[in-house]
Amino acid sequence: MIITINGRQCEAEHGEFILDVALRNGIQIPTLCHSEALPGLASCRLCIVEVIENNWSKVVASCVYPITSEIEVVTHSEKIKRMRKTLLKLLGARAPQNAYVRKLLAEHEVTPAARFQGDPDENCIMCGLCVSACDKIGAGAISTVYRGIAKKVSTPYDEPSKTCIGCSACAGVCPTGAIKVQESHGKRIIWKKEFELLSCAVCGKPFITPEQIAYLKAKLNQEIDEILCETCKRKAAGERFAQTCADLTASKGLLR
Amino acid sequence: MSESNRPKRTILVCCGTGCLANHSLKIYHKLKELITKAGVDVAVETYIKTTGCNGLCEKGPIVKITPDDIAYFKVKESDVEEIFEKTILQGEVINRLLYLDSVTGKRFKSHKENDFYKRQMKIALRNIGEIDPADIFDYIERGGYESLKKALFTMTPESIIEEVVKSGLRGRGGAGFPTGRKWKQCAGYNNYPKYVLCNGDEGDPGAFMDRSIMEGDPHSIIEGMAICAYALGSNTGFAYIRDEYALAVKNMSNAINKAKEAKFLGENILGSGFNFDIQIVRGGGAFVCGESTALMSSIEGKVGEPRAKYIRSVEKGLWGQPTVLNNVETWANIPVIIEKGGEWYSGIGAPKSTGTKVFSLVGKIRNTGLVEVPMGIALRELIFDIGGGITAGRKFKAVQTGGPSGGCIPESLLDLNVDFDSLTKAGSMMGSGGMIVMDERTCMVDVARYYLNFLAEESCGKCLPCREGIKRMLEILNSICAGKGLAGDIELLQEICATVSEASLCALGKSAPNPVVTTIHYFEDEYLAHIRDKRCPAGVCKELTTYYIDPENCKGCGLCLKNCPAGAVSGQPKSWHSIDQKLCIKCGNCIDNCKFHAVKIR
Repeated sequence: MIITINGRQCEAEHGEFILDVALRNGIQIPTLCHSEALPGLASCRLCIVEVIENNWSKVVASCVYPITSEIEVVTHSEKIKRMRKTLLKLLGARAPQNAYVRKLLAEHEVTPAARFQGDPDENCIMCGLCVSACDKIGAGAISTVYRGIAKKVSTPYDEPSKTCIGCSACAGVCPTGAIKVQESHGKRIIWKKEFELLSCAVCGKPFITPEQIAYLKAKLNQEIDEILCETCKRKAAGERFAQTCADLTASKGLLR
Repeated sequence: MSESNRPKRTILVCCGTGCLANHSLKIYHKLKELITKAGVDVAVETYIKTTGCNGLCEKGPIVKITPDDIAYFKVKESDVEEIFEKTILQGEVINRLLYLDSVTGKRFKSHKENDFYKRQMKIALRNIGEIDPADIFDYIERGGYESLKKALFTMTPESIIEEVVKSGLRGRGGAGFPTGRKWKQCAGYNNYPKYVLCNGDEGDPGAFMDRSIMEGDPHSIIEGMAICAYALGSNTGFAYIRDEYALAVKNMSNAINKAKEAKFLGENILGSGFNFDIQIVRGGGAFVCGESTALMSSIEGKVGEPRAKYIRSVEKGLWGQPTVLNNVETWANIPVIIEKGGEWYSGIGAPKSTGTKVFSLVGKIRNTGLVEVPMGIALRELIFDIGGGITAGRKFKAVQTGGPSGGCIPESLLDLNVDFDSLTKAGSMMGSGGMIVMDERTCMVDVARYYLNFLAEESCGKCLPCREGIKRMLEILNSICAGKGLAGDIELLQEICATVSEASLCALGKSAPNPVVTTIHYFEDEYLAHIRDKRCPAGVCKELTTYYIDPENCKGCGLCLKNCPAGAVSGQPKSWHSIDQKLCIKCGNCIDNCKFHAVKIR
């Protein structure tokens, strides 16, 4: 079906989300909690747009609004821009010193509200991506705890989690760098839990926890003979590929 | 006289939560003991039962005697022997225990004659106070489960839904979505299993109608759910009840078991071949779990957070399956609609808000309690005629309806008809029917702060506008109440309200600004008095209140001196008293106790 975004006609599948259609057509909508790998959080609300249908306009979160009819979408109306600015003002009050948040505010020309007492040490914006990542992996080591304004992300009882495998996927997806990962002397500390780091068989760089190896073994249902870091793994794969090509060309006498 | 010929009499002792707290169970046991001891010597065979809430909690414990039609109020344990000796043995009425109309000084033998009950019309509350909730036969005796039989054996699923559509019944939980339309939409999805849910997570401060129905007439809910399940082809139901409602959980569990034994639930209901069972899920007491999608997440064992409702629950609800969720009070109306027909029901109340609604009247009102009245009743009649007006002879200021999602309605709108649409138009909402009445000693900025404080704890905290918006609005309101309000605060509050009300994920977030929006709209002068003049006109915000005694009015009675906990009042009998501002802790005891309006607020 055809929908209109900011006056432009765009092709859309039934059930597709507005944000995906917009991005495919090069129309930018700001997001914070959206990740293609972990969709559906809809918590930051920065991606709000106006949907006009039957002469009636409503504000929706474009990342989770499924297209079911030929609607008209406006991504930057005066109303949406004003609301986005208020959202950013609230975000700036929550994490006033966070670099990423400050950058966002500057991009949208929002001056932080002096009226609010922000915590200079706060970096977490409660988007929920970390919890979503941990769930997806299946570790379930972290979750949101409490509710209301006291809501936060933590391990059960704020103690080191038994199920955490130290993969730091949570830190990897965090848009504001709020999750601290300390690595030194072959150890990694994350969420108050200390992990031993195994080293790469080729370059010797400590990079993976034994718990991660166990997780991978179970997930892939196979033994892992050689532990290689990302760089060395890529290098080895490249070498294997080159060798295969060489073998193939040699065997078929195609070498020029 | 043989056993069977003896006239029968029943004593109904109210054991609703309010009366229980005032020791009605002791009254019940003591009466029972006296009756058992007297045995067959009593000329009239006497039964005694505990019932659910009679509504007039203010005047509990309540003891009713049928068929004599006597109702005793504010009964104490020490009255029991007299009731037994005089009323039970001799049929004599004890005048001092009858309802007293404080205005006319008249007493009424039957509770049905007084203003509180006379103007009510009971549909959802039809059995409460009349039956023992633990006894299924009490329910059956009053026509219970006849509607289920009628539905199963004489109606088609389509005709059941048609009756509910015709009734015009709208959901009693808050939003007022037409119940029949919801069922019809769900019936339209050919995807099984389907689920039927009861929302018993009542959480609005001051609301207790759902609790009262679950405690006092659980079978009416079960019957309503079973009828809906048959109409949808659902075999599984869940009743989500907040765990703090221990008596509701107990009475609902017991009723479900009894209904199963009597074949009104379970496999092959009444031989019809239809199966339906209900499980109780106990909620952890999070206000947000009353929101439909959060409630479903909670039943699924996940964190109770709402999800975007762009796809409705009737299509994809619990575990992604078609689901009908209705509130306790809505369910209790269903058997009556099936019994008497949708047309009969739609003839009651207002055109677009049919039927009756249960309201809980609380706050600074004389007759605190539960009332059921036809929709469209004037707010004034509800508060002044049924509710008996404001306590302590004070002036009405506002009524808060709809809980934290609702708003405050001022005196100028007292003639408003109470229905879904008029309340929404006034900036408030029906909500579950909680009505908190406020008098001139209520500070409206403080009221907004109270609700924001509640929401700050009870928002799920998932989406940014609701969580951070509430936090910052509360921060501003705290500061205004502490005398640190700044010019521009009202505008900043309004800016945040506008965004929170549209950008939030769920209906709770979207309605969270209502208490702030309506208090600014109707009581902006009070905000300005706080911000600009550093004064709290109601004398509530301590930092902004100074009490003084006006020598013109002071009679030197000494009541303020006697009640001051800080020793701040001094003065000789029959001469002007004064308050030492250095010692005053601003508790307001002096103003509350002065009979001559001599204590004033500066």
